[in-house]
Amino acid sequence: MQKSFSLDTLTIGECARISEVNATELPSKFLEMGLLPGCLVEIKHKAPFNGPIGLHIHTSNTLIAIRKSEAYHILVEKNSL
Amino acid sequence: MSNPIIALLGNPNVGKTSVFNRITKLNQHVGNYPGITVEKREGTVKANGKTYSIIDLPGTYTLFPTSLDEDIVYQILGNKENKSHPDLVVVVSEPNNLKRSIILYQQARELGVPALFVINMIDEAKGKGLEIDYQKLEQYLNTKVYTTDARNGHGIHQLIEAFDERPGYYSSKFTIDSRFVPALEEAKKLFPLQTEYQTWQYLAQEDVSFLSADQRLALKNIRSTHGFTANDLQRWESISRNKQIDKEIDAIAVRKENLHLTKTNKIDKLLLHPVMGYIVFFAILLIIFQLVFILATPIMDWIDESFASLVDLVAGILPEGPISNLITQGVLSGIGGIVIFVPQIAILFILISLMEETGYMSRVVFLMDRWLRPYGLNGKSVIPLMSGIGCAVPAIMSARNIENTKERLITMLVTPFMTCSARLPIYVVLISLVIPNETFLGFGIQGLTLALLYVLGVVAALASAWILSKIVKTKHRSFLIFELPSYKAPDWRNVVTNVWDKTSGFLFGAGKIILSMAIVLWVLGSFGPNDKFYNPEKYILEANPTIGEDHLAEEVASYKLEHSFLGYIGMGIEPIVEPLGYDWKMGIGLVSSFAAREVFVATMATVYSLGEDVDIEDDAQKETLLTKMKSEINRNTGLPAYNLASGVSLLLFYAFAMQCMSTIAIMKRETGSWKWTLIQTGMMTGLAYIVAFLAYQFLK
Repeated sequence: MQKSFSLDTLTIGECARISEVNATELPSKFLEMGLLPGCLVEIKHKAPFNGPIGLHIHTSNTLIAIRKSEAYHILVEKNSL
Repeated sequence: MSNPIIALLGNPNVGKTSVFNRITKLNQHVGNYPGITVEKREGTVKANGKTYSIIDLPGTYTLFPTSLDEDIVYQILGNKENKSHPDLVVVVSEPNNLKRSIILYQQARELGVPALFVINMIDEAKGKGLEIDYQKLEQYLNTKVYTTDARNGHGIHQLIEAFDERPGYYSSKFTIDSRFVPALEEAKKLFPLQTEYQTWQYLAQEDVSFLSADQRLALKNIRSTHGFTANDLQRWESISRNKQIDKEIDAIAVRKENLHLTKTNKIDKLLLHPVMGYIVFFAILLIIFQLVFILATPIMDWIDESFASLVDLVAGILPEGPISNLITQGVLSGIGGIVIFVPQIAILFILISLMEETGYMSRVVFLMDRWLRPYGLNGKSVIPLMSGIGCAVPAIMSARNIENTKERLITMLVTPFMTCSARLPIYVVLISLVIPNETFLGFGIQGLTLALLYVLGVVAALASAWILSKIVKTKHRSFLIFELPSYKAPDWRNVVTNVWDKTSGFLFGAGKIILSMAIVLWVLGSFGPNDKFYNPEKYILEANPTIGEDHLAEEVASYKLEHSFLGYIGMGIEPIVEPLGYDWKMGIGLVSSFAAREVFVATMATVYSLGEDVDIEDDAQKETLLTKMKSEINRNTGLPAYNLASGVSLLLFYAFAMQCMSTIAIMKRETGSWKWTLIQTGMMTGLAYIVAFLAYQFLK
């Protein structure tokens, strides 16, 4: 069974596939920069005390940083790798 | 016939500016787009028998704007009436983000703008694990594809030769989902002459600034009757375009492991480490400010001396009189006061553009965002704020790197609260006057006071940022998403042109304002309304016939200042400054130090008849000034003019007040408006007045 998590709950080194990017909370820029449903992302860095999160988007091979409060609105599935 | 306009369009970090610099060489200048603060980089190149105007558009990921920079791109490409609307767009990409660049290219083509496609940094294609089938790519894009390596100039010549190419008809690959079609058909009726995609863009954006209010309202109504938001349309476009390219790109480009990212990852393990990352960052900051001070100081001293001797030289040549004085003390000293900032600005910007070029600046944002976000600032605000400890002028300029308009504005508004080096001499003089030289828990109270004033600057900056972030409105919502680009060696051409842009912008932009204010202040200090100013000897000798030659000269200077326009202004504002505990002599100091805070010490020296050249670093001279100031009696209160209450009040006033016309000038230039400049001056000086008033009334 697949389980959905919000992206901010993952720890460094974990990989997951994006299942949903909350439309009402996040502007389309998130999609345009490569955070698309179906993309495989890996948590690479976390700034301390709930700072930004550094994501490696495997699909487009880029490193993107977003705030934790925004990662909360992105849903991912862990065991669909 | 006007020059054909070529616009460079592309994502950030693709080396677009390097391409621009290569194409235009040094035939370029940086201005602002009308009415706003977005930098406009324009240049020309002569080729193929004509002259082309080249515009380097701000870096963007999409034509749907989320910031002022991106708004400009859409206005230029989407509005054919725009003065900068290009005849040809050159989409610049790099091997690693081909997909995103193709989307941008498709959007531009579908708006009806002809475009070429360039893959820059082509030398990195192998390392980034990419093999491209150019023939297929050209077919797919229906245009010419060029490859460049802007760092060494490869491919630039071929690209310039292609500026007359106009690719053939472009058939859109973008088919609009059936659920949006009825709405689009309705919108099309409003814009019968536009391409379908242009109309779609109108419908998919909240606020297209170049449409009329009626048209915008009509579009809004269409969206709401059909029950979707602009964001829905944008998201759908983005998802559907990406899906389509994902299917098709495999036939065009083969991708393997990205070696650059592996290397970058290793470096980031250290530079983004939760502990080591901060240690490295603060070490870098420390080095930056040390370099700014250590390297700039001898150059600044040299400039200072050169201008002083130039003034002497000119004064020797010109016949004595008001014209000679105007040129030497007004104009030349004014110019000297501008040029003196150049070394600091240049050195700071060399270091900042190195951080930008290598990709480290994005890491700074990553590390610092958490700490500045609560105050409505951005990770990048840390550079302007910390630079503010040196001097607010280069610091405010360095806020240009902040993309978010609101966060940039707030950063610029609060940066002058940081304790700049010009406040230091005032603090030193006033603290030794009014703060007892005793110890508290083993610390000298005087030193503690100084440290406290520095902390106060930081607190004032953050607190006012917090308040401003609640007040300032923004069209674009606050969010943070940014790329952490692969580390790379800096392109020195970009560093050099960037430093030159910033330095010359300061010299010629802000310099005008500083110079005119310096001249106004000089006029006020050098002329008086009555005979007392022009014949001081007569009046001094009448009052004190036994005065010696030596003292007479000093008395004359002081007497003249007292009866100059500046002096009368000082007396005129006495009722305003009286509640703060100041007399008219301090009033003159306040008015004249509006030019620059450090002038206060020199003015006080003149007011107290010591001659202008008091060197505050010379202990004996400092003692003389201090003794003189200590024995001064405020004629309103009968108490010493510099007691604890008035001294603390004065310290606080200087901590908060906008006593620096260079800062005002640079704010005007950077914000492009007097509105924010005046708001800032009013806010700072108003706060200074209130705090100084409270301190004096409480302590007296």
